[in-house]
Amino acid sequence: MYSPNEHPPTDQLAENNLQPFFVLHKASKSSESSAVMSPGKPRKRRLDSSPKVSLNSESMKENLKMEVFPYVWSKIESNIKDVLRSINADVFDEIGRWVCESFNEICSCRGPVDPSKSTLPYPFVQNGGLVKKLFTALVFTKNIETVDDILTFSELGLNLKSRGCYVVNISSLDFSTKNGIGGCLRAFLRQLLMVDIEAADVSLLASWYSDHGKYEKPVVVIIEDMERCSGALLSDFIKMLSEWSVKIPIILIAGVATSTDAPANVLTSRALQYLSTSMFFLKSPAERMDAIIEAVLVKNCAGFSVGHKVATFLRNYFLRQDGTVTSFVRALKMALVQQLSTEPLSFVLKILVDEGDNKRSWYEDLANLPEEVINHAFELPSYRTYSVNRNNHAELNAMSLDQGLSELQRLQELWRSRLMCLHEAGRYHKVALLDLYLEALDPELYNSRLSNHGCDNAKDKSLLSDSDKLFRLQKAEVTNQVIRKIRDLPAAKLSQLLKSWEGLTRGTVEVHEKIMELQSQMVSGDVKSHKAELTDKSNNLQCYNLCNRRHINRHRLNMEKDACTSNDKAMTLAGQTIRDTMQPIECMPFHELICFKDVDNLQSALVGDPRRRIQIDLLNFYKILKCGCCSNSGGTLSPSMHDTSIMYTLAQEHGDLINLHDLFQSFKASISSSEKKGLKKLASPKKRKDNTHSQNNSDACFQARFCSAVMELQITGLLRMPSKRRPDYVQRVAFGV
Amino acid sequence: MDVDEIDEEEFGFSRNYFLAKELGSSRKKSARKLSEIDLVDEEELRQVAANIEPKHEKEVKHLISSYESSYSNWLFALRCGFALLMYGFGSKKALMEDFATKSLTEYSVVVVNGYLQSINLKQVVITLAELLWDQLKLGRKTPSGSLCKSQQPFNTRSMSYLLTFLDKPDLEVEDCFVCILVHNIDGPGLRDSDSQQCLARIASCSHVRMVASIDHVNAPLLWDKKMVHTQFDWYWCHVPTFAPYKVETKFFPFILAHGGSAQSVKTASIVLQSLTPNAQNVFKVLAEHQLAHPDEEGNWAWFFSGMPTNNLYSTCRERFLVSSQVTLNSHLTEFKDHELIKTKRNSDGQDCLCIPLTNEALQKLIAEII
Repeated sequence: MYSPNEHPPTDQLAENNLQPFFVLHKASKSSESSAVMSPGKPRKRRLDSSPKVSLNSESMKENLKMEVFPYVWSKIESNIKDVLRSINADVFDEIGRWVCESFNEICSCRGPVDPSKSTLPYPFVQNGGLVKKLFTALVFTKNIETVDDILTFSELGLNLKSRGCYVVNISSLDFSTKNGIGGCLRAFLRQLLMVDIEAADVSLLASWYSDHGKYEKPVVVIIEDMERCSGALLSDFIKMLSEWSVKIPIILIAGVATSTDAPANVLTSRALQYLSTSMFFLKSPAERMDAIIEAVLVKNCAGFSVGHKVATFLRNYFLRQDGTVTSFVRALKMALVQQLSTEPLSFVLKILVDEGDNKRSWYEDLANLPEEVINHAFELPSYRTYSVNRNNHAELNAMSLDQGLSELQRLQELWRSRLMCLHEAGRYHKVALLDLYLEALDPELYNSRLSNHGCDNAKDKSLLSDSDKLFRLQKAEVTNQVIRKIRDLPAAKLSQLLKSWEGLTRGTVEVHEKIMELQSQMVSGDVKSHKAELTDKSNNLQCYNLCNRRHINRHRLNMEKDACTSNDKAMTLAGQTIRDTMQPIECMPFHELICFKDVDNLQSALVGDPRRRIQIDLLNFYKILKCGCCSNSGGTLSPSMHDTSIMYTLAQEHGDLINLHDLFQSFKASISSSEKKGLKKLASPKKRKDNTHSQNNSDACFQARFCSAVMELQITGLLRMPSKRRPDYVQRVAFGV
Repeated sequence: MDVDEIDEEEFGFSRNYFLAKELGSSRKKSARKLSEIDLVDEEELRQVAANIEPKHEKEVKHLISSYESSYSNWLFALRCGFALLMYGFGSKKALMEDFATKSLTEYSVVVVNGYLQSINLKQVVITLAELLWDQLKLGRKTPSGSLCKSQQPFNTRSMSYLLTFLDKPDLEVEDCFVCILVHNIDGPGLRDSDSQQCLARIASCSHVRMVASIDHVNAPLLWDKKMVHTQFDWYWCHVPTFAPYKVETKFFPFILAHGGSAQSVKTASIVLQSLTPNAQNVFKVLAEHQLAHPDEEGNWAWFFSGMPTNNLYSTCRERFLVSSQVTLNSHLTEFKDHELIKTKRNSDGQDCLCIPLTNEALQKLIAEII
């Protein structure tokens, strides 16, 4: 063992390289910061309790980051878990009830229990005949990616456990043909009996059940992804369980990703006969995604948010590439990590989380910070543009930073409530929150909205109606669509919408009042129309002449007009408030502290693209190495280039098969083009002998370099080695970057 | 990225593929043989290859040292629960070990050399568990009761027990983990799905952090989404180094030495010399028979019907080289395992044996083992 500061002796190094594994070093000391990381229980410790901490020291920064991350992330994570739990709550309840009913049914057909025979299959059945039905719930996940449902099924397991069932979760890995039926049975017994038994047998389970269960609890087997299991094995498993289904009341729950005919595709017809199926449906990934967006990013549970570009990337990654909520959550975590590593002041996030729990001023925390840190905040681009625009010359101290941050919070709150108003309106037309969220985050859209408004004010107002202005902003498609559709809402839904708006805008007096006004108008309109209806009826009774009929029609028209005007008013109000107060976070001063915007960084950490990047590394190596000699070659091969780069560039000129002889010759020509020139000068009769020697030498050298370059390309997988059938050809693997 | 862009990219990709295919078939395939090159002896080749003067040494050094500025970010990502996955052209071995030596001093580090052929992951897990145990003991002065219970040595425990120990959520110290550094997690010894599943389970343990490297462009195909998102939890780092893959290619065959007759004679003679004199003599009997029956070109070929096993047995018995068919079979199995002989069936349905070497090479070989 050697200390990390001194270099290990080379012999040992060489020896280590040939060991399958070795210990590089042991932990030098117990980490001081170890006490800091406790995601489960965030402590209520004040940030920077020591006066005037210097943020300059690297370790201090590290510790701060490490203190903030678990704090903020645990908040976000628990929020996400809550959301997912509540989104599944209804289905879980349904399944729970079904399990109870099924269990009762099994019990009802079971005869008196004879413990001495409990370890034999086929049961004591009361009403004659063998009961071999296995109660099975098919849970449709509406999601081909089982990774999202791992959590769902483990939650379901916990839920059922809390209802007093014995629960076993078996994954498709246990149903591999390699392990056979013993594999899944072992997993089964391991979870229930807590023992690892080599020779697994159901009779063990039966005796365990008769000892423990006393026939009061069902055993629920949850298979997360039925379609990934080996069909034959699963069929055998089902057959086996059904033989024991009354002795051990087993209930099966299977996750199905595709459609109702999945069991028929996977199982044998014999196994299908044993199943008595019921169906349950989980929420789709898009619905879950919306719920998470709402809880984490819109309602902003931990103060952390992302910029428009990042949000767009996340949406596209979700919709087009990965499609799993899990990866979205992962991306969010990564964004938080990167935000904390790049922005030293982003530890204010911790204060935001704290603030959610107990309101207090931040001033105290900020005042403890060293001056350079405060100054850093005032040098942020967002603050600079803000102060230039406003001609603001506030004093640059902790107090004004505190005010700035509070203002940021207030604006965020406004933005949030407006977005939720829009979301409420969009619900009637099933508009996804994700789309609205993206548009609401777009700073360009906001700015163009503002500038348009400015232009319109300058022009003759009568030329353009409010709704026309909205139409002009074609980019905000979803938002405009939602606003426009308010016009078509029936009165009942409109009043419902206004009621929800009333709740959402409670913080802002002006808008709130307008909504109240609208509501009262609608109520009075209702009363009027009610009265009108009454008079209509009496009029109808009294006289039937034409004149009166006209009168009735006019009344009706008026009523419709009233309704229209309240819809219009609601629409105008929505448009106006959005324009005036829905400021995206990227337009607010100091937003860099809590808003993550570096989409490139996130993308490269989240989705490495080795196939592309490694090829680009090879083709554009001089951009990475920044060497003077190769960057001037302008795409042509020069001998100074990296050997493997030369080789890969040469390989690009071939088809899918490359003749090794040709490749060697062209490689040799490429690397020796300059050396040849040198050789010519040297060639004098005296040195001929030496020359042939060096020729041999350089032959060996060319061949060795060729071999190394081929090997390196083989390691990267860009060349496939010659097969027995074609010993003189290597094969190209990648076509195009 | 726009939809159009993606489409364009996909189109470009398929177009390139078909162009390359077309190029391969339309242009008259070059039929030159490797043997036309005057190949250098493999030993010399290896020697020269080991001493190739690296290009851009200064720039490579500078590039690798430039990554040092990212060490703190990498450490932070690790501590936040991610696993680091290094990729990009060039050997990343030195870089990763430098990172571990400089930044992971507070944690024990185990290095797994995935470029080697066989790796016993159970042993790795045992070592990890022992290191974590030491680290936990170091972390507190008086180990609590729960820790004392598991005094049984780890090497007698089952894999699932060890993984549960590494994943214990209830250990009091939270930021306590051991690091596992896997060079070439896509290497030949780890490429199978069982090893990858096992590595994924190791990486998902709460007291283990993984730093791994990949070199193969298709390495991500080793993992499904469950492994990527919930177990490995990769944080990708693009770190091309352009450093030569010296250690990683140590056991790779040299493409220009492969199949050369000199090479085959050499390996064959090494194998034969390690066998018993009787076995060597059995081989010699077969060789003599083959040399006595050359085909038209003077080469061994499939036209040569080979020596029927029965004939070989009787000849060997006559010379007191073997006492029974069983002994002969054991020799033959040994030869077959080292690809010294091949069997085929002749027109009469007899099993015949022959040596896949040219007559010239065979003569050389016989001369070497005498």
